[in-house]
Amino acid sequence: MSKQRNDPDSLDRRRLLQGGAAFAAELWLPPVFAQGSFDWKKFKGEKIEVYLVKSPRADLLTKYQKEFEDMTGITVGFEAPPEQQQRQKQVIDFTSGKPGFDVTSTAWHVQKRLFAKGKWLEDLRPMIADPTLTSPDFDMPDFLKAGMTYSTQADGRVDSLPLNIDYFMLYWNKQLFADKGLKEPQTYDEMVAAAKAIHDPKNGVYGFVNRGLKNANVVTWTALLLGWDQLTYDPKQQKLLTDTPDAIAAAALYKQLNTEFAPPGVIGFNWMESLSAFSQGKVGMWIDGVGWAPPLEDPTKSKIVGKVGYGVMPRGPKARKAAVYGDGIGVASTSKKKGPAWFYVQWATGKVIQARMLGEGMGSGVRQSSYQSKDIKANREWINCMVESAKIGVPGLPEIIPVTEFRDVFGIALTNMFAGADPATELKKATIEFQPILDKSEKT
Amino acid sequence: MDLSQFGWQVRHYVRRAGLAFAVAVMVSPAVLFFLWMLSLAFKTEVDNAAYPPVFIPDRLTFANFESVFKASPFFQYFINTVIVSGGATALALLLGVPAGYGISRANAKGLAVGVLIARITPGLSYLIPLFILFQFVGLTGTLWPLVIIHLVITLPIVVWVMIGFFDTLPAQLEEAAIMDGCSEWQAFRYIALPLSRPGIVVSAILSVIFSWNNFIFGVVLAGRETRTLPVAVYNVLSFDQLSWGPLAAAGLLVTLPVLILTVFVQRDIVAGMTAGGVKN
Amino acid sequence: MSGSPAGRALDATPAMHETHHRRYLRFAWPALAVSLAVILFPWLFTLFMSVQDWKVGQDHAFTGLENYLLLARDQRFREAILHTLWFTLLAVLLPVVFGTAAAVIFHQRFPLRGFFRGIFMMPMMATPVAIAVVWTMMFNPQIGVLNYLLSLVGIAPQMWVFHQDTVIPSLVLVEVWQWTPLVMLIVLGGLSALPTEPYESAIIDGAGWWQMFRHITYPLVLPFIIVAAIVRGIDALKAFDTIFVISQGGPGTASETINMYLYLQAFAFYKVGFASAVVVVFFVLILALTLVLLWMRERTKWT
Repeated sequence: MSKQRNDPDSLDRRRLLQGGAAFAAELWLPPVFAQGSFDWKKFKGEKIEVYLVKSPRADLLTKYQKEFEDMTGITVGFEAPPEQQQRQKQVIDFTSGKPGFDVTSTAWHVQKRLFAKGKWLEDLRPMIADPTLTSPDFDMPDFLKAGMTYSTQADGRVDSLPLNIDYFMLYWNKQLFADKGLKEPQTYDEMVAAAKAIHDPKNGVYGFVNRGLKNANVVTWTALLLGWDQLTYDPKQQKLLTDTPDAIAAAALYKQLNTEFAPPGVIGFNWMESLSAFSQGKVGMWIDGVGWAPPLEDPTKSKIVGKVGYGVMPRGPKARKAAVYGDGIGVASTSKKKGPAWFYVQWATGKVIQARMLGEGMGSGVRQSSYQSKDIKANREWINCMVESAKIGVPGLPEIIPVTEFRDVFGIALTNMFAGADPATELKKATIEFQPILDKSEKT
Repeated sequence: MDLSQFGWQVRHYVRRAGLAFAVAVMVSPAVLFFLWMLSLAFKTEVDNAAYPPVFIPDRLTFANFESVFKASPFFQYFINTVIVSGGATALALLLGVPAGYGISRANAKGLAVGVLIARITPGLSYLIPLFILFQFVGLTGTLWPLVIIHLVITLPIVVWVMIGFFDTLPAQLEEAAIMDGCSEWQAFRYIALPLSRPGIVVSAILSVIFSWNNFIFGVVLAGRETRTLPVAVYNVLSFDQLSWGPLAAAGLLVTLPVLILTVFVQRDIVAGMTAGGVKN
Repeated sequence: MSGSPAGRALDATPAMHETHHRRYLRFAWPALAVSLAVILFPWLFTLFMSVQDWKVGQDHAFTGLENYLLLARDQRFREAILHTLWFTLLAVLLPVVFGTAAAVIFHQRFPLRGFFRGIFMMPMMATPVAIAVVWTMMFNPQIGVLNYLLSLVGIAPQMWVFHQDTVIPSLVLVEVWQWTPLVMLIVLGGLSALPTEPYESAIIDGAGWWQMFRHITYPLVLPFIIVAAIVRGIDALKAFDTIFVISQGGPGTASETINMYLYLQAFAFYKVGFASAVVVVFFVLILALTLVLLWMRERTKWT
């Protein structure tokens, strides 16, 4: 059985390294929009609805929302519920044919093909090419190649633009590590050893935390699986790879970390709860996306400001890779306000906001120019981690249509392991269960 | 006082004490729960995340309520919920009071069982077809779909309560009026209806309470501006330990109106259920 | 959802003259019409969808009984039935026992009885979602107040809704807390209708409290207890809000009842054809249980 070797859709390394010199001198815009010939007030007086997921990205956009409204004269109705609620409602709205929003996000790793199938998001290419709708300094080539690959559908439609690219990484608590004389783990074995050393439930200290909640937990497993240099699905042969010996080994590791070194109740944790637990300073390590870092450095929310280590994913038995997930932002195809909606999307993915995202540590930059900004106040270690992870980035979830079912079936298999089920049995069972769903979806 | 009388008195007091204890035990889960809810809503984040739990904090705060109102248009949702529950109840009264009267006087218990079917049907099964229908007709985005689908809750309640009520209302006055030449409708309108105010009040309040509390219909059918309160609470929910305060505050705001209504109506509900016996 | 079961006064006149009978039915036509529209239409449409292969947003095709056959073979659905039955059994039995006890207590006269009764009734009137949200916080294994209370009496902290084995009992705890008052109301109605003569004779004969309950109260009130069991049974089978908010059917599928499974199929996977078949089967199950309980009630009815 051949394993799929994917060329990592990673940064164009050379461009980034060159950028240092070139960009610094180049067109770094001050955070005031050049009042050039482009008419930002074209849709003045209009009102749009924006529906995103609760996250640091949404927080940043809300923070600067007034700037957008002043610049364009467009009023914004904004909402960002927690992930689970937002995604369900979003799809319900789309299928009704009359969604209540004009701008929304898409989580590529979950929704890309689903959205493509229903053509729920507007193809942005005509608007991008239209000089009356797109500001001349929007600079499409500035987007990271990985982001654009994700944004572009198989048939060439660009129905969303990158908003945030998330690399899975290892957060570690410097204080707890120092107390035990440990160094940042570079391999899976070191990671497990560190978890064991730190784990001290009697004193409320735990070695490890991560997502246990079914559905959400699949991404942690696939992230670990990359250490065996394997994906969960082979698109060329349309074959599931979820029951291979390496997949089982990854699940066994996941099971061990969760049953031996995690806080009680981890079975119900998504990233928010893991974040919460880690920021209380009682957990040694946390594997999750790099984009959740901002609250960790916020003194009103975190007890470990300044003590957070940002490590690249440790090396697994066969490889060192970082799982990549991403979010795009787009315009609903049934929106009656595509123009104003596009202005919002343009603004949110534009150079100024993106530079702020990275600079303030609210998101990973989707634009190369963001990395060259002089205004970066975010933690340097975090940015380095992002840059390094980008070099070894690989999409973590398969690009299939029934991703929700995939996450459901395998998520349940993973949570069953918490109660002691055998990884091999569970994965094989889940694979058999999911295969027909996959076959059916690929035919229609 | 001789010894046997004394013994009787002691037993009497022991019985009273036992009863008091039993009442306390019965009522304490409810009391403790609501007190804890209050405590969570008025404490700071620091206090809410503390362990051992803080029951009475040093400092009370209104910040949680502020954050609830700031995060989403809670007042709008309140209005929505009032309109939906009020509207569905008003319609149910309009249709259900005469229906309850008719079924009771005609002794058509078969129809009453039909109302039971509405109760048995899982709520979700109304949702899918009605959702498709409303979308087809173009009503999504208004409050109308919610009012209509809430009839599924309110109409059976009104019909059921009014049947029970009219069954206990002796029909002599109406019979006399009819023999004098009134039509059934006139007998209803001028005799039975004015007498049925207590029943109407009970059924209206119960209808409002259960419509208010409904969650599943709103989750699927409501948009950002047509949302009802229970759905708003759900949207605030994540297990993030850092936002327990606002969560409890939101819950409190949503359930307080119906709890207040309960205080007003509990006596009437009990009276309704105990008068004449509940026998069918 | 709650409504008072229909009652009938002991001294009501027999049905009005036959000629008026039909005219009285006319009063019910508007309500019937609306019911047909709002209740019958979805039902017919559901039956229609259940024999189609239909995913939201796509074309549908007639497939006969295929959905039902798939359902019969579906392991996950069978597990959902088991979860539902187990949950329902506990969520009916416990409230019935506690509710009957509460009814007996509140049947006694004591000062401030109405006030305490009002408080006792609050859980049943409170908004389930709001309640569920607070229970979730109470269930937290690390800083939740329930584990703290357990620790005060020396019991080890529990995992509550975070473990497959304890999730259903934890959810039942919430149901018991919330719906015991409803049972109390129904049984209290029965107690109020009890004649006093048997008690008077029994006291004269020197019967004790427990004996009176066992031989007089209990048999006479049994029909009401069964009515309460029917109402609780229907509600418990259909329980949604609490489970949805607190556990979402998890961990894994440990608390996935038929209703949760239904929601998943319809609104997470968008397989409305398949979900409609689930609805039909679900309805039949509830109907069957209701009929069994009604039959039991008929057998215990006393004139």
